Amino acid sequence: MDSLALPTCEPLIRFCGVALTLGGRRILDPIALDIGRGEFVCVVGPSGCGKTTLLRLIAGLYLPTEGQVLYGGKPVAGPRQDIAIVFQDYGKALLPWRTASGNVSLALEALGTPRAQRPARIAALLAKVGLAQHADKFPGQLSGGMQQRLQIARCLAQEPSVLLMDEPFGALDAMTRQALQDEVLGLAASSGATVFFVTHDLEEAIYLGDRVVALKPNPGRVADMFEVRLPRPRDQLATREHPEFLRLRRTLFDFIKEAEA
Amino acid sequence: MSASRILWFAASILVGLCLVAIWQLAADARLVSPVFLPGPDKAWAALERGIASGELLDKLLGTVGRMVWGWLLASLLGIGVGALIGISPAARAWLGPTLEFLRPLPASAIVPVAIAFLGLSEGMVLAVIGFGALWPMLLATVHGFAAVEPRLYEVSRALGLSRWEVIGKIALPNALPDIFAGLRLGLTVALILAVVGEMLASREGLGLWILLSARAFRAPDLFAGVILLGLVGFASALLLSAVERRALRWRLPPG
Amino acid sequence: MSGWRGLVVPLGVLAAAEVAALAAGLQSDSLARPSEIAAAAGVALVDGTILRATVQTLAAAGAGLAIGTSLGLALGILLGLFRTAGRLAEFSIEAFRPIPSVALIPIVLLIFGFGYRMEIAIVAFATFWPILILTQTAIAGIEPRLLEVSRALGFGLGRRVAKIVLPAALPRLFVAFRLAVGIALIVAVTVEITGNTLGLGYALMDAQQSLRPALMFALLLWVGLVGWGLNALLLWAQARLFGPAAMVEARP
Repeated sequence: MDSLALPTCEPLIRFCGVALTLGGRRILDPIALDIGRGEFVCVVGPSGCGKTTLLRLIAGLYLPTEGQVLYGGKPVAGPRQDIAIVFQDYGKALLPWRTASGNVSLALEALGTPRAQRPARIAALLAKVGLAQHADKFPGQLSGGMQQRLQIARCLAQEPSVLLMDEPFGALDAMTRQALQDEVLGLAASSGATVFFVTHDLEEAIYLGDRVVALKPNPGRVADMFEVRLPRPRDQLATREHPEFLRLRRTLFDFIKEAEA
Repeated sequence: MSASRILWFAASILVGLCLVAIWQLAADARLVSPVFLPGPDKAWAALERGIASGELLDKLLGTVGRMVWGWLLASLLGIGVGALIGISPAARAWLGPTLEFLRPLPASAIVPVAIAFLGLSEGMVLAVIGFGALWPMLLATVHGFAAVEPRLYEVSRALGLSRWEVIGKIALPNALPDIFAGLRLGLTVALILAVVGEMLASREGLGLWILLSARAFRAPDLFAGVILLGLVGFASALLLSAVERRALRWRLPPG
Repeated sequence: MSGWRGLVVPLGVLAAAEVAALAAGLQSDSLARPSEIAAAAGVALVDGTILRATVQTLAAAGAGLAIGTSLGLALGILLGLFRTAGRLAEFSIEAFRPIPSVALIPIVLLIFGFGYRMEIAIVAFATFWPILILTQTAIAGIEPRLLEVSRALGFGLGRRVAKIVLPAALPRLFVAFRLAVGIALIVAVTVEITGNTLGLGYALMDAQQSLRPALMFALLLWVGLVGWGLNALLLWAQARLFGPAAMVEARP
């Protein structure tokens, strides 16, 4: 059993004293953070605390000015295809001139998937996010929730080991939001992907995460971390009424209020 | 097209026919000397005569050929060079101000220069058309390539698209609406310059036909030529916008 | 900051042309050294020929523009306000608009002969259509609530147009006007090149025909400069009238 347990000790993503200065402004103070394989980590904090910056560092869209971000033990030098990003502004992140199928296809084209295999893969991916009926529609013809589902489908096409989500549901209404939360949980569980989820919604963070990382602003740094010991699979009613959920919500709420004061 | 839209359009055609009728009445009443304004019946007869004899058709083909060739030449060059400049911020910094200076230059002002180099030849007319139609195309393409949503560049980096894939799959489709705007403007310019070139260099075409008809005081022939030129402009714009609607389907409102 | 880089290319081309022409010992009826062009420009500016031609061109373009714009504006407002009339006129406008303005040169020549009147008529025709169509769409694009307000206030047509319609559509009308100014200049120069014996276009043709390439290129550059200057002036005015710059200027 020891041999099986070993790989989980080695974190998939490791921040070693990572700091970032952009244009003379200190964005992040040195940060140490380990994320295990298959873990669902949520990041919360007041605006300007560097949540998104942290995500972009993992993605390789930013490179640290100090320290290193290690991925699988090697420093991140730039974007890689097994790390997928779901942006908040789905309207800007989708190609408006391609249909839903075409947008998913873009990821397959980037991976070099043979043309003959693409249609079946696209159909399967769209079905997985519930867009099978809308394959031939353009993003402009889809609702916000459907567009975000489409972006998730495109990310899944990369068969990512890590899914980075940058406030993905921030612009959606409450009902759509809850439905998508459960879908993301399902997709993460079935694919075994590691998820790094940035949000400003504390309840969302607790509901989804194995762990919640709380950041403090000016400059951004890790203030605290909370293990979420809630049973899985989670349930919109039962989980949100669980005493542990309420306790964590209280703790985080107080924490954020203090940080913003 | 909805039924009410068709009805409105039919009504507006009726209004157009009424205008033609008023024109006929005015000509019949000799409100304006027939030397300047022949009735629509006379213009129509001249048009029929010219087409039946094949003469007007030849001129039409001459003008359309010139316009299309010059326009195609300008389009290929404009889109190609525009893409190269638009995709590179450095090229934009070096060449942008020069292009901005040349943009408002009246294209016909280079006619004398073209005559000095190429004489009153077919090549001169083509060069002027090509030059005039080049700018709208070039500048629209530069703009389209430069105005890519930054988020899409991040998406392509995250997906690991190659540089050529980014150009072909992101930048080019993104520039397409601008390119079509350039194509439309270029087409208008090409027709105008084809007519001017024909008049100046005495090349067979509708422009020269109109000029010669005016000199011989054959007003009906002149009007026939003007009507045909209007039709050329109308038909080419219609054709282009049909292609555009097809290519830019995704821009249509939802539904 | 990046301004200097934009100057490198044109200056480099001029310098290269100068050097190449000197090295080749250029003697031509169609080409001239940049220094000769500059000299010709200097002479023509000092003796007033360029300025006289410029005034002629701008006068004809301006008069045509004034006529075309006022007619286009008036009809555009009517067709934009009264949707029924606008829809009924659709076909006639679409049928007339594509006629290239230069095709009318021979007809107008028959009527007016050479001179200002003929040039003004063509410029007026050429600017009328874009102004008409853009005005119509600008008026149709006004927030309907504003028109309801003006009706509720009991304004008559004249006051409705003056107090609500024109101010609301003004930014878009100005853009249309800027486009029309460009067209007016282009058409004026084109008419002059095609044979009207006045203005910059005629001066250009004359320089070519009398085999004075230096003057011809000097005039070409000048025409470019005039076009660029007009455009820059209008852009500045637009930013000042409607842009955020107006807010900054509002300080005491």
